[in-house]
Amino acid sequence: MERVEEYLEAIFRLKERGEKATVTRLSQLLHVTPASVTQMLRKLLQMGFISRQPYGEISLTRRGEELGRKVLRKHRVAEEFLRYLQVPEDKIHDKACELEHHLSDEVERAMHRKVEGERLKSPSGLLPLTALLEGEEGVVERLTGGRGLCQRISAMGLTPGTRVKMVRSSMFGGPILVFVRGTTLALGRGVATRILVRVD
Amino acid sequence: MDKVIKVSLAGQPNVGKSVIFNQLTGLHQHIGNWPGKTVEKAEGTLHFGGHTIEVLDLPGTYSLSSFTLEERIAREHIALEKPDVVVNVIDACSLERNLFLTLQLLELEAPLVVALNQMDMVKKRGVQIDVAKLEKELGVPVVPTVAITGKGLKQLLEKVIENRGRKARFPRYGREIERKISKLEKKLEGLGYPPKWLALKLLEEDEEVEKIVEASRPDILLLVRRMRKELEKMHGERAPVIIASERYSLAGRIAKEVQSVTQAGGVLSDKLDRLTTNPLTAYPILVLVVLSVFLLVFQIGGKLTWIFDAASEKLETIHWLPRSALEGLLAAASVALPYIIPFYLILHLLEDSGYLPRAAFAMDSLMHRMGLHGKAFIPAMLGFGCDVPACLGCRVMETERDKVLAAMVVTMVPCAATSAVILGLVGKCLGLLAVLVLYVIHFAIVFMLGRLLFKVLPGEPVGLIMEMPPYRVPHLPTVLKETWGRTLEFLKIAVPLVVLGSVGLAALYETGAADVINSVLSPVTVGWLGLPAVTGTVLLMGILRKEMLLILLAATVGTTNFSSVLTDAQILVFGMVSLLYLPCISTFAALTKEIGWKRAVGISLLRISLAIFVGGIFYRIARLLC
Repeated sequence: MERVEEYLEAIFRLKERGEKATVTRLSQLLHVTPASVTQMLRKLLQMGFISRQPYGEISLTRRGEELGRKVLRKHRVAEEFLRYLQVPEDKIHDKACELEHHLSDEVERAMHRKVEGERLKSPSGLLPLTALLEGEEGVVERLTGGRGLCQRISAMGLTPGTRVKMVRSSMFGGPILVFVRGTTLALGRGVATRILVRVD
Repeated sequence: MDKVIKVSLAGQPNVGKSVIFNQLTGLHQHIGNWPGKTVEKAEGTLHFGGHTIEVLDLPGTYSLSSFTLEERIAREHIALEKPDVVVNVIDACSLERNLFLTLQLLELEAPLVVALNQMDMVKKRGVQIDVAKLEKELGVPVVPTVAITGKGLKQLLEKVIENRGRKARFPRYGREIERKISKLEKKLEGLGYPPKWLALKLLEEDEEVEKIVEASRPDILLLVRRMRKELEKMHGERAPVIIASERYSLAGRIAKEVQSVTQAGGVLSDKLDRLTTNPLTAYPILVLVVLSVFLLVFQIGGKLTWIFDAASEKLETIHWLPRSALEGLLAAASVALPYIIPFYLILHLLEDSGYLPRAAFAMDSLMHRMGLHGKAFIPAMLGFGCDVPACLGCRVMETERDKVLAAMVVTMVPCAATSAVILGLVGKCLGLLAVLVLYVIHFAIVFMLGRLLFKVLPGEPVGLIMEMPPYRVPHLPTVLKETWGRTLEFLKIAVPLVVLGSVGLAALYETGAADVINSVLSPVTVGWLGLPAVTGTVLLMGILRKEMLLILLAATVGTTNFSSVLTDAQILVFGMVSLLYLPCISTFAALTKEIGWKRAVGISLLRISLAIFVGGIFYRIARLLC
């Protein structure tokens, strides 16, 4: 089960960054051979966690996404907690990878409460816009995605360096509302995950 | 007498551009389409100070990129038609965002006059704008206006006459960009477009401009690609993002220079905004709004229909040919006046108040499952009134793919006439619960069909990016005007078809062809759907106008007490088939206009086979249950 969670987490992480999950990407990320990735994916497919798309892209089913998101959240909470305990920085990631599979929801919440105030950050320090909490502000750092989308996003004023404030983030996994340059914008979830922000 | 002055209005959506257009041209306007395009083109004339001024209202756009059809139309018009003056209407309340477009108009070096609109609102918010300073920064005249009261429009026209044909100055961007532009511009002369603009657009990776240049100067593209690489290396961003940032930073700087906040004012609409975007309250409110719109419309409509009933009684003594034509006219009016006008009035009130974008926001997730985004919910709402404007309303979708998908989905929304049939037949005989069940099944089918088409159609779905205008008190003249426009649109498409249809229908009965049709269709109607044979013609004629289903059914079975002649199962099946089977002829015409006749035929075939399939199964299940 740990391996299953590990894979789902990795796929979810790629998706969150706006990258395509492929066998090659996964084997790089998890430090395993492509052959074992393929084998594991077959298992995940059987378990109903993923579905395969054309061009070798892997996408998560609803169940897979739920579990992937949960594990990733636990990973981040564990990392933050270890940092709080002043565990050396180079050990944090690996230890968090071990811990994430053994945290119950209750323990995770308790840890999260403990380190509250310290925002959970992804390894690069950049978060997709969707990760901001309501009322929280961030600065747009980078736009990922195709040329057309970048053009549309920047034409609406979400250019790098712009401050954005999350107004509404909880529309059942649907769109979000952000306040930027004096107006409120509604952004579809797919659009918002392509906007990477830094929280200070 | 001077020669005619051509003025084009440009501006972002929701800035009061249409209000200014209406104030200027009053009743002297002409609404049509851009040649070969489905985008509306509004023109009008006025006389001022001895001059004749022709005003053209360009589509509202946030930017002048090539992403949407509207944007391409607006910029082609300014660059190639070269109007004498371009009036840029901007919303003083969000100056920075609006200046983003103003800068792009300056890039086109168009003769520009800025109308700084909503000055009353900005004062209420405690913000002061230094107009003289703004004029200096932009290098073009700026006139403060309050469009809804007409304040400042006289001064605006004076400035327009004074400044006609005076080229604007290209905005001042970062040095490395300016240097690249000046290197490129000499090579880009003689293409019909302003060379500096072409240069900047090339740096911005604009597909359309690349095509224009590639045709005649393919060597330049290599140079441009190298320049872009340089820029991208320097900024660590994609070229289009760099240029957009450049514009926004200039717009932001200008806005900061000219604005001063005297007192921070709270916005009244905040609370309403929270309620309508919070998932816990947004959905109940949405359901409540939709339901009350319907109740209200059917209440008003029901009270008005007696006029038409009385009128059609008077017609009974005339010869069938003129009678059927008159009946057709009357029928179109009896849908338009009592149902469509009140419906659009209410809907445009909601739109102008700012509620519809919130509804679109709330519906984004669901629409996404069909590969659409929240904006498609607005034409879908229109569909509850009539599917013709709903279909035309799908123009708000950004890409062709989304438009086709949206057009199919929204034209399946039961219109007022269809709802009247369902209520009059199923509701009256079997109760409202049965109506609800039918609607739920129908929408489930529409949803599945949408998903299916989403998987089949090639291309990527476009995500939602939508401005949420603040709530405000609706401006009645604008609302009335919009309602009138929609009604005219409906009448234009529907009246000729409905009149022709009525005549054809009467001819069928007069010549006895109806019986032939009934027997030809009977294997489907009787054999598979379990309906009486007479429903064959009824269903066929329902294509002309959906409300005919009820009227004709009553006429052919000889009573309005349907329970006495039809079994409960038959009533349910007839209702289900009526919901699904075909778009009416007017909707079909609208579909053809918007997405082409091949797709319109495809959709119709899909729907009719679905109706037969579902209807037959439905009959078998209903027979078991009833």
